[in-house]
Amino acid sequence: MSKYHNFMQRPLSRREMLTICKGGFGSLAFMSLFGATTFSCSRSKTALDSSSNLLLGPHHLPKAKNVIFLYMDGGVSQVDSFDPKPRLAKENGQDPRKKFKVDATQFDNVGKILKSPWDFKQYGDCGMPVSDLFPHIATCVDDIALIRSMTSQFPEHTNANYFLHTGSGLQGRPSMGSWMTYGLGSENKNIPGYVVLDGGLIPPGGLDNFKNGFLPASYQASILRAGPQPVANIIPKENVPNLQERKLDFIKQLDDKQLEALGEADAIESAISNYELAYKMQSSIPELTEFKEETEATKKLYGFDSDDPHTRGYAAQCLLARRLVERGVRFIELTCPKVSADRWDQHGDLKDGHEKNAHAVDQPIAGLIKDLKSRGMLEETLVVWTGEFGRTPFAQGTDGRDHNPSAFSMWMAGAGIKGGTIFGRTDEYGYRVIENEVTVHDLHATIMHLMGIDHEHLTFRFGGRDMRLTDVHGHVIKDVLA
Amino acid sequence: MNKETFRSKEFYNLTTMFKFIDGIRNVGRIVALCVLPAILFSCGNSNSNYEPLPKTVDFNFHIRPILVQNCYLCHGPDPSSRKAELRLDTYEGATAELKEGGFAVVPGKPSKSQLMLRINHEHEDKIMPPPETNSKLTQREKALLEKWIKQGAEWKPHWSFITPIINEADKNARIDLFVDRQLEQKELTKAPLANKNTLIRRVAYLLTGLPPAPKDVKAYISDTSEDAYGKMVDYYLNSPAYGERWARHWMDLVRYAETKGHEFDYAITGAWKYRDYLIRAFNNDLPYDQLLKEHLAGDVLEEKRYDSETGILESQIATAFYAMGEGTHSPVDIKQDEANRIDNMIDVTTKTFQGLTVSCAKCHDHKFDPITAADYYAMYGVMESTRFTPLNADQSVSKELTAKEILDINSYVKTTVAEKITEELSSQITSNKKPNLDAVNGYKMIGDFRNTDFDGWATTGLAFGDGTTLGYPILQTFSGKLLSLEEGKASSRIFEPGVMGTLRSPDFILDSDFIGVRARGEQSTIRIIVDNFQLIQWPIYGGLTQSVSSAKWNNYKFNVEPWKGHKAYIEILPGIYDQHNFRLPPKAFIEAQYAISYDSEWPREVETSNKEKPSKDFSLDGIKAINAHIKNGRLKLQFPELVAAIDSRKLSKPLKDNSFIYGVSDGSATDSPVFIRGRYQEPSEENIPRRFLSALPQGDIPFQSKGSGRLELAEAMLHGDNPLTSRVMVNRIWHHLFGKGIVETVDNFGLQGKLPSHPQLLDHLAIKFQDEGWSIKNMIKYIVTSETFKRSTLNDFEPSNKDPNNIFLASFPIRRLESEAIRDGILSAAQSLDSTLYGPPIPTYLTQFMRGRGMPEESGPLDGAGRRSIYQEVRRNFLEPMMTTFDRPIPFTTFGRRDVTNVPAQSLILMNDPFVIQQSEIMAGKLLAQKNLSFDQKIEWIYMQMFSRKPTEKEIENASQFMAAIEEMKDMDGADENRDLEVWKEYCHSIFNLKEFIYLI
Repeated sequence: MSKYHNFMQRPLSRREMLTICKGGFGSLAFMSLFGATTFSCSRSKTALDSSSNLLLGPHHLPKAKNVIFLYMDGGVSQVDSFDPKPRLAKENGQDPRKKFKVDATQFDNVGKILKSPWDFKQYGDCGMPVSDLFPHIATCVDDIALIRSMTSQFPEHTNANYFLHTGSGLQGRPSMGSWMTYGLGSENKNIPGYVVLDGGLIPPGGLDNFKNGFLPASYQASILRAGPQPVANIIPKENVPNLQERKLDFIKQLDDKQLEALGEADAIESAISNYELAYKMQSSIPELTEFKEETEATKKLYGFDSDDPHTRGYAAQCLLARRLVERGVRFIELTCPKVSADRWDQHGDLKDGHEKNAHAVDQPIAGLIKDLKSRGMLEETLVVWTGEFGRTPFAQGTDGRDHNPSAFSMWMAGAGIKGGTIFGRTDEYGYRVIENEVTVHDLHATIMHLMGIDHEHLTFRFGGRDMRLTDVHGHVIKDVLA
Repeated sequence: MNKETFRSKEFYNLTTMFKFIDGIRNVGRIVALCVLPAILFSCGNSNSNYEPLPKTVDFNFHIRPILVQNCYLCHGPDPSSRKAELRLDTYEGATAELKEGGFAVVPGKPSKSQLMLRINHEHEDKIMPPPETNSKLTQREKALLEKWIKQGAEWKPHWSFITPIINEADKNARIDLFVDRQLEQKELTKAPLANKNTLIRRVAYLLTGLPPAPKDVKAYISDTSEDAYGKMVDYYLNSPAYGERWARHWMDLVRYAETKGHEFDYAITGAWKYRDYLIRAFNNDLPYDQLLKEHLAGDVLEEKRYDSETGILESQIATAFYAMGEGTHSPVDIKQDEANRIDNMIDVTTKTFQGLTVSCAKCHDHKFDPITAADYYAMYGVMESTRFTPLNADQSVSKELTAKEILDINSYVKTTVAEKITEELSSQITSNKKPNLDAVNGYKMIGDFRNTDFDGWATTGLAFGDGTTLGYPILQTFSGKLLSLEEGKASSRIFEPGVMGTLRSPDFILDSDFIGVRARGEQSTIRIIVDNFQLIQWPIYGGLTQSVSSAKWNNYKFNVEPWKGHKAYIEILPGIYDQHNFRLPPKAFIEAQYAISYDSEWPREVETSNKEKPSKDFSLDGIKAINAHIKNGRLKLQFPELVAAIDSRKLSKPLKDNSFIYGVSDGSATDSPVFIRGRYQEPSEENIPRRFLSALPQGDIPFQSKGSGRLELAEAMLHGDNPLTSRVMVNRIWHHLFGKGIVETVDNFGLQGKLPSHPQLLDHLAIKFQDEGWSIKNMIKYIVTSETFKRSTLNDFEPSNKDPNNIFLASFPIRRLESEAIRDGILSAAQSLDSTLYGPPIPTYLTQFMRGRGMPEESGPLDGAGRRSIYQEVRRNFLEPMMTTFDRPIPFTTFGRRDVTNVPAQSLILMNDPFVIQQSEIMAGKLLAQKNLSFDQKIEWIYMQMFSRKPTEKEIENASQFMAAIEEMKDMDGADENRDLEVWKEYCHSIFNLKEFIYLI
């Protein structure tokens, strides 16, 4: 490699340093010509600054440096997982409309009250009840803060997905991962700050769940997939050793000449150094997905030896997530594995569908929490587990459950989280929240808070407004914080 | 280091975002980076008072920015957040007596002005702005405020709300004069003019989005005539590629997409025809005022516009821009869905044409701009009164003429027969008048087509003609013997089946359990449109649509009970929505007798409405009597003279339609209430009349139209006194040419937008644009022939410190090409570009990373069939990675200005994307196909293809060394030819990666 010395990381040059500073006060100088305009950089950023990759830095001391977002696409049934409702068993088979007001549902095929096919047991020192769907996660309850009073505004997948990911039910808004990296940057220069691990199912609404919206494109998620090419265009196509380096060297030589002739051209200069990063990513990314240095014990903990291929697949995703955290990636989302029928969206055959989905993710998730903990990483890593909404306590048809945005359960573990907590309450059917409602905006505010961001102050001016992930809503849920 | 210092540092143009991160991790280093220059150059906010105060302090340019930034959140136009009843956005407000006594502003007397007192106050709980807002006025800002009050505290409307004016002295000024004037003031040195190679590359790319052909470069270089530059500019303005480039600019404004996104990414019918419309419009230099009118009201223009070559009706196609929004799959709350959709339509319309962010006033009056919530809901009514509809994109002059001829013949035949019958039977026709009372039989009539007209229902397209079939004589084919008169019905096959048309009821409130339509037809559709909701389907809304495919008359019943209380209309049309993609089979037709609403059972008898019969026509009962007379032989009539007329209709051109686009038509005029806090569940008591924005000329005149009022909206925007329409558009043109607008926030001319860098120049251009007939091409030519445009990008003299962002254009700004220009440039350089104009989109090439619901079954070709990027499919849920990575905006709202990011994914595309590799190989092949080129000539060919210039000696030498090294590395066996190709491919690929290729330098 030494032969290609041009193509190496170098310290900031004097000019680069000046460039950095000049941009900043250059704009101030401009402002003073017309008086300070609305774009003072001290408070908010305008769309105009968007080409400049601004960073805010944390507003306060963060508890979490990284987030692993375990997305349970399709909507896990709360009354079958973390919110036991004995009354459903008592009134199994009765007409729900005689018991309570039933909202319009997406399929409008309201059946009878349906008891949970699973038993609940109490676990841990805290005694948190968990259904038999999640025997492994159940062993981690003392690290988990459970919220049983989540609500969404949308009973449709796509709106609810966009809402959960971007704080808006509409398409095209920046995802929370984009906001985090916009606010905090990545800690690693060779890996993007926001990564989605595609487990096989991209949620309804597509990649726009992970896009940058009106934030600069730099903040969109990079999609990582298992396999020989984990990220688009990451594998060089040159089939001769060192050929790519030779080419890049040649390119840099000519580019530098051009730059010299131009005098000052910050944009060109930045574009040139961008190649250095791209070049490095080519080795740092594939290295990530090779688990060579992982011990058998670790792999087993995650479920690499499972008979279920979906468990093995999700185990690899979870292990990859830990490795990304180790490398300083800010925000990592895992999408669901493609379990036979569908993701968690069991409009019919609840028992079979939920069981298969749970089996795929249960052990890997517990493995992840334990692994993080044993490495001392859980203290700085926030693990979030949630779907986009819950399911109805009554059947859709005879053996399914329809979408229910009026109540669902989610949990968090790790950095800054008070383990063994249960927050919020639903009615006796688990249909509606009756105490301490937590909205998606509140969840966002809380995640941001743990990351050291004041959700009201991370803004981006677009379309005449200072936009926020939480719009004009959101409260930090203090009760689940340590 | 406190967080304020942390946040107040702006980092422009850092080499990569990852370097910032370095900084963040190493706080010490950040401090070092930031503090040092702050001392050296006194650049901090608090130290920016080195610049002398202006002689005259201007409210718009000096004062308002301070007030907006620091005061308006609590003392601005929005009463809901106003504190101490003080508003500083109006003269009256600022000079009114304060609650606690005194006056905020006493013109001429800063010392008596409470405002001055409070901003200089020492007490934490008295000082303004309050410390908790984190705002703090600088000494300079305070000095400006003081001087302004001293000078009389003159208030002005926001600059962009003042109609453009030009000083008498500047009447004959041109662009360069305005620019030079400011350069002189700032003591900036102008860069020399760029060389001819640079100029032709710049003009070709900016006007057409493609690099110039080497032969054109050579021709231009050798053209020494005085107007060589002007001729070159004309050449590119007249190139068809010009329209493709500028249409794509426009498509960013209207969130152009070919699918609706959300769960299943349904197609938007014929979206690409709107793209082709734009290309034609720009190439034909359609005047901007007309373009605007066609967008807003192309379906209701009094004077329609037809394509001069094809005769196709153009003007209605533009309305597709309303329909480019996203579409939710089965929303449970359709009223909210409608509100979201309309919000997006208002947002796009007002940003695009007025550079205003009216959507900010959805929940409350705008916090900064003089836009009220009432303004928003005045626009809301306009959009709510607008209906989505498939339009026949191939309607033409000749079809309209044919249809008119046939209708004339029909009318003649009908009248002739009717007169004869009247002669014969005048005493015997008994007009039957039963009272028709609504709800007599437990039903309500919504539309009765058994009389002569459509009972107040609206039609689009030609299919339904100008009335029902009532009284039309059926004659024996040869003899002309009268067989009977037709009973009344609305029919879409008045001419023939397969003709496009729609029949829609006025809006009504659903108050019964059922809607019923008596109809028959073939491959046709009846839909109940509730709250303008279009994506009707399983699982919730499936019952609101029924297909009609039976030659027998049937009662079509719709259970609308779940939507009682909602607003709705009925839509009857030939053709079907196939996965929401409209199509019209050639045999499709639909006929309807009436539509009713009822509870429980379909009424036993649905009586005809009792209408005054028009003099020449018979009522339905009259017709029945006459037919009885014919049948029993009491009325025998023959019209042999009409046979020829009837036959002549068969000779006419076919009217069948087979090309459709999703656009709009007018619905029932609806004024909307204000939704309190933006919630439709909380409507205000009073409705807001539909009108334009109250702060702008014409803004207080309610629209009179019976439809939506979109035409009046367009006219208000084009009113001579409107201060925004022209300014916004010339600024967009300037932006596309210089990479930066005179107003940088091209979509926001409001108080939060940037101030113009050259206000007089902007006004000059805006006035000129209007005076010269809104010609976009003329405006482009005017700008690109200025010296300012022709300057070199060279920047190695000192001005950068005085104007680091090149606001004042001492040199031409270096800029990266847009995603489309990069991709098209690669195709063009490799000579793989298929320059075919127009047509259906090329399906998206799907990588393994592009998955999810709605994924097309097959991937498109890797090279996009060699077509320009504008012809590549835009699927919301499967956006092309190369396009988005190089900053094509995500299509959800107006983006007049693209980001220019610099991320590794861009480098990775150029380094490793199979498309780029493929094109490198093709290019190498094209190179080697030219026999007898020397090495130098080969390099020259490549440089001309890619950079529009010849290589230097040094570059040839570099190339030669590089090639030698590559050859060595490849060390392959195989034939020489193959090795050559391999090596040249690596060279071409490397050249694609040069910054000179993706930047305009």
